[in-house]
Amino acid sequence: MNYFVADPEWGGWIIAYFYVGGVAAGSYFLALLIDWFGKPEDRPTAGIGYRLAFPLVLLCAAFLIADLGRPERFWHMMLKSEVAKAAWNAGFPWTSEGWALAVQTPILKWWSPMSAGSVMLGLFGACSAVSFASEVFGGVRGFRWLRNHWLHRVLQVVGCFAGFFLAAYTGTLLTATNQPMWSDTNWLSPLFLASAASTGLATIVLIAWWRKVGSPDARHRLERVEPVVLGLELAVFAAFAVSLGPDLRPVWETWSGKILLAGTLAVGVAAPLLFYVAARSRPWAVPVGASCVLLGGFLLRYGAVTTPGELLARGPAAAPAVAADGTPPGWLDGTALQAWFAPEQTRKPGQPGADPDNRSGPTVTPRSKLPRVAPPEETSAP
Amino acid sequence: MAEAKGFYTDTTLCIGCKACQVACHQWNDLPAQGMEIKGRVELPVLSGDSYDNTRSFSDVNWRHVKFIEQFSADRTQAAWLMMSDVCKHCVHAPCLEVCPTGAIIRTEFDTVYIQEPACNGCRDCISACPFGVIHVSETKHIAQKCTFCYDRLQEGLPPACAQACPTKSIQFGPIKDLKKTAAARVEQLHGLGQKQARLYGADDKILGGLNSFYLLMDKPEVYGLPSAPEVPSKRVIPSSVWSILTSILIALGVLFRFRERTNHEPKRPASKGAKA
Repeated sequence: MNYFVADPEWGGWIIAYFYVGGVAAGSYFLALLIDWFGKPEDRPTAGIGYRLAFPLVLLCAAFLIADLGRPERFWHMMLKSEVAKAAWNAGFPWTSEGWALAVQTPILKWWSPMSAGSVMLGLFGACSAVSFASEVFGGVRGFRWLRNHWLHRVLQVVGCFAGFFLAAYTGTLLTATNQPMWSDTNWLSPLFLASAASTGLATIVLIAWWRKVGSPDARHRLERVEPVVLGLELAVFAAFAVSLGPDLRPVWETWSGKILLAGTLAVGVAAPLLFYVAARSRPWAVPVGASCVLLGGFLLRYGAVTTPGELLARGPAAAPAVAADGTPPGWLDGTALQAWFAPEQTRKPGQPGADPDNRSGPTVTPRSKLPRVAPPEETSAP
Repeated sequence: MAEAKGFYTDTTLCIGCKACQVACHQWNDLPAQGMEIKGRVELPVLSGDSYDNTRSFSDVNWRHVKFIEQFSADRTQAAWLMMSDVCKHCVHAPCLEVCPTGAIIRTEFDTVYIQEPACNGCRDCISACPFGVIHVSETKHIAQKCTFCYDRLQEGLPPACAQACPTKSIQFGPIKDLKKTAAARVEQLHGLGQKQARLYGADDKILGGLNSFYLLMDKPEVYGLPSAPEVPSKRVIPSSVWSILTSILIALGVLFRFRERTNHEPKRPASKGAKA
């Protein structure tokens, strides 16, 4: 971990953006899935997703702009400001020189998650706006035409991909830095993606339950999807924890790290799975389970964003000492986890390794060509 | 393009006078850094950390002289390491790479420069910088760091800090000349028995080379420098591959689970009927 960096002080606005963006992308993707592969009676539940995504994306844009040091310059993310100003001064849009400069204004650095993410947020916003309009104003003639047109389907697929990108790039944005923890794992991005799917689904389930949208059967079909998504999230979470390796312990020792690890695992994944398995028939199981997923998704974003700041404040001295022989300092250590999953790989001479009880002893006699010397017979006393 | 210019900082020559910090403040019109004490912003007070009262880089401290006191356990032996730290103007610059607005540019002198009118204060460069160089101005609300005195360079002048340095600890010049000087100095120190002397950032191992490189007398970590920083984009592809795999799994998982019921329920009575 690099403890010598400065804290970007990404705080509340960014946490809110990551969370709301994930819900928007997840609910749009699920709405599309229900819409295309569900029965006609599932249609109202799909409508929830379409109605949610666009307003939430608008909220995301507002959060992002509010977080900037200079909010009035938000458009610098999309256009090269100095070229845009030169184009304007050259007489855009009335002169050819102005146009020649204007075509060079868009900026996209596809290797930079923040640059690519800004463009994809715009794309997702456009696609979800069309879906939102055709859902809300479905009765108006123009929108009814659009809703059944093949162009709408194309836009939905594009929006779905942009949504996946939106949900995942927020994690890559954190990974593509030099901050402690963020840059020490490649699994924040898949984790945010899985959480986007689970929180998006939980939002639709919760709203469908609250407003009694669609038939009980349609709602039940939707609720059945949740454990699959949560199971995948659990697998990705495990990969995330293992990938942190020896950095897992310093992360756990911060409050934010505890919220990230324990909050996500217990509140966001384990509790709703438990409710699904053990209390499925209870009337409170659905809303309480979905609320847990939503809270867990928030704790994940909160913990992930705030942990490096706390690590930097504590400094490298907070990292636990590893013994000279490489023995990890405690059970909740990445090396301990890695030793658990690959015991031979991490073994050092003298340590037990993969099968500690299966070792040389009186029961083990090697096959040998050498004549066995019989043990000397006890001579009885005369 | 003009020749690549840089700093070579020989920390063995640094006497901790902070003339570089003062020169930087004066040339760039940087105010003294206020410090919040019981809710009121006051001028700097003593930090208690050796002679280091600015503590770190900040929006107004583009140079930072570090004081590292080393004592043996019985305190009979002591070493006092001093180092004037600054933006490294990396050959592979992480900040320039991630900047979404294109505000951070590489100049004709191969230095890295933030265009103030373009920066919108997103702070991605702060996350990316492995040295903690960049900070956001509390008055301008945009990213601030050493400009390598870009204005002076264009007029053929050396940067203010290098000109002010009284011991030639900070040397300015074409990178390839500085590297020769540095190599000769290391050889000289090794010949004098100072085997711990080493260069940091002079070769291309650290971010393709640092245009501000250092001669250190201990491990980089002792000076608060990371030993193996990387460019952020290195992690974009593995992160993306895992995400794509996860998204495929989620899409398939949801689809199968959702389709399971929709297909089976109407079919079940139909298949029974066919058998009967």
